[in-house]
Amino acid sequence: MISSKAFANEKREGGLAAKDEIRVMRRQLPINAQKERVRYARHKLRQDKKSKMRVLNSDLSDLRRKTPVETAKRKPLISYLTWPLPGLGQLLLGQRLKALLFFAGSLFAYLIAIPYALGRGNYRGKGLYGLISLAQDGSRLDRSVIFMVEGVIAIILLLMGLLIIYQSYRDVNRVERQMIRGVRRHNWFETRTSVKRSGFPFFASAPAALVTIFIVLLPIAVTILISFTNYDPSHQSKFNWAGLANYKQIVLGQGIAGGPFWHITGWTVIWTIFATSLAILIGLVLALLVNQDRIYGKRLFRTVYLLPWAVPAFITIMFFSIMFAPDGPLTNVLSSLTGQITNIKYSTWGTRTVLILLQGWLGSSYVFLLCTGILQGIPNDLYEAAKIDGATGFQATRHITIPLLLFQTAPLMIGQYTFNFNNFSIIYLFNGGGPFEPTKSGNIAGSSDLLISYIYKLTIQKQYQGIGSAITLIVSLVLIFIAWFGFSRSKAFREERL
Amino acid sequence: MSKKKDKGLYLSDRPPLTAVKVVMLALSYILLFFYVFVILWPLAQILFTSFNGNHGSYIQIGVSFTFSTRHFQYLFGETYFLNWVLNTILIALATATLTLLFVSFTGYAYSRYRFKGRKASLTAVMLIQTIPSFAGIAAFYTLHSIIASIAPWFSRQMFLILIYAGGGIAGNTFILKDYIDSISTELDDAARIDGCGNLQVYRLIIMPIVRPMLAVITLWSFIGPFLDFMLPSILLNDPKAYTLATGLHTLINDVRNMHQPVFAAGGLLTAVPITILFIALQKQLVSGLASGAVKG
Repeated sequence: MISSKAFANEKREGGLAAKDEIRVMRRQLPINAQKERVRYARHKLRQDKKSKMRVLNSDLSDLRRKTPVETAKRKPLISYLTWPLPGLGQLLLGQRLKALLFFAGSLFAYLIAIPYALGRGNYRGKGLYGLISLAQDGSRLDRSVIFMVEGVIAIILLLMGLLIIYQSYRDVNRVERQMIRGVRRHNWFETRTSVKRSGFPFFASAPAALVTIFIVLLPIAVTILISFTNYDPSHQSKFNWAGLANYKQIVLGQGIAGGPFWHITGWTVIWTIFATSLAILIGLVLALLVNQDRIYGKRLFRTVYLLPWAVPAFITIMFFSIMFAPDGPLTNVLSSLTGQITNIKYSTWGTRTVLILLQGWLGSSYVFLLCTGILQGIPNDLYEAAKIDGATGFQATRHITIPLLLFQTAPLMIGQYTFNFNNFSIIYLFNGGGPFEPTKSGNIAGSSDLLISYIYKLTIQKQYQGIGSAITLIVSLVLIFIAWFGFSRSKAFREERL
Repeated sequence: MSKKKDKGLYLSDRPPLTAVKVVMLALSYILLFFYVFVILWPLAQILFTSFNGNHGSYIQIGVSFTFSTRHFQYLFGETYFLNWVLNTILIALATATLTLLFVSFTGYAYSRYRFKGRKASLTAVMLIQTIPSFAGIAAFYTLHSIIASIAPWFSRQMFLILIYAGGGIAGNTFILKDYIDSISTELDDAARIDGCGNLQVYRLIIMPIVRPMLAVITLWSFIGPFLDFMLPSILLNDPKAYTLATGLHTLINDVRNMHQPVFAAGGLLTAVPITILFIALQKQLVSGLASGAVKG
């Protein structure tokens, strides 16, 4: 007897086989076979023509390469004379299709980039001039920041135009020099082949490069420029260049916005060290505990310990924020435990402690996940060898497991420190940076504000964009230095693999 | 343990438990279960709150539990929750698609071709991106109005997509490039001899091999908009256009619009699919993160 499952399988297989047979028969029908043959013949004809043309062309260029030519020319004059108009030089040298491409570049340079820089076709600004004047002499509705952004755009467009002009000059110059030496100029076939080969990476990354320039680099350039202006609440529509005034205020800790800088920096450093180290400690200990031989239910523990990482952080942070609110559930629990009303959100160190604990809770999962992966990869021989040498379990952990864990995860752990240094969501969503302590952290920042949330408050909420940008730059320079330090020492970078 | 039933005969591979080890093991279990409680308690609170009909606008302790779906009804009836879900999914999909398109080209070009400014450009952009993105917010606003003055249909959400996709290019290019580097170039050479062009080599040879890494990159770019709170809260100004994170925040940040249990309900609905995704795909997600980090 066949079981019903086997029967069904048998039936399906039979069906498939029959279908296959039908397909084969259909192929063998004379009319279909003929059609197929015609299609194939057409295809082959096309392909043959293509490949023969290619062979012909490359034979041609071979011959051209081998037969030198004599010219009366001594100096690459055309390139010297025609560089202002890309395309003209190529045309004079007889490379017509290439000239067409470079003429398109000319159009960009002379009809878009240069007029834009001169203030034509701007949205509101005045091209490059706007960067100098910052709309000081403009009408009442003109805004300095728009003038600044359009000035930067003008610079970018100009640079692109210049690049095209320079490339064209170099191209004409190279061709001319080669002609003087007796090398024939490339024909279109040769140009196309060489562009396909060496130009591909540029074409492939051009869209990405454009987006990066305008979405990533332009805003950063504007930030750098704003940090040298007096863009603050009383200069919202019109601001002016102010030199290093913002930086001076920050370093000396003066003014409403710059005053609390050092205070906040101190707390940011404390926060980064404690919050990250706590998360690493919890994650490490949990991973070691779960991975012991005699623990049962490993899967269950692992899944549960991943939850804080898997649940979106903004939801858990907001929920904890509700629970610690005045009259919130956890506040009431704490109050009944201590016997007095304990409002975490009104106390500086209360908020700070809870924030660090909360980040420990949130961050431990990721560390746990990484460590578990590595622990499972440590070969058992190491422990057996240690045992034979007389090591206790504790010694094996201390001298084998922990060093291996720390070495392999070090770069990612450093990443965790920089992540927490800039951990905006937890600070902003938990208590909005509060509680406020005007004597220490001024009127803008709360006492749990990190530099990043302080910058947010300065630039987005309180309109101190100038100082905010300056702080951004100082912080970023430090971060960039750290990142570069790690980056340049990495294997990929040193082995020239990058 | 069950093997020990047969008294006098010890069958386990492991050395027998000493008294100290029993204590240590018990301690381990206590610690592990304690932390399970620490994790599950707050999450369980979200679950119970969202289904507890006795909560008013605020969540309080000691409220008895009555099963009810009225917070969910409020969420779907009185708030723009469905809009937020739809917005987030659209933004995430567009971001993932754009990132995938950009990065496939750049990753391939940076890995397989040697050209001027290759090392410098990637390093520079990677380093410059440590500068927090909202610092350039003034530029973002202006850029958006400039583009919108040319193309009026260009909404703030589209700009958000561009920022997400543009911000991810450098990092993801680095990840993908590293992955393509590990594929032998002999495969490419063979394909080229057979007559493949640049793009054909990518499409027919490289892409099938790097598909796992492309999947990871797509996945992370897709999840990003679900988790980000900062950029949408700055850029988007219409509650209907909000994403999930900013939308749910409106339910708890304003006294007039305070509905904490509804927030819990919305949070639950958001968290469940993402959590399942993370737990199910943890290995793939971590592999993307780990290869993105600088290797020592």
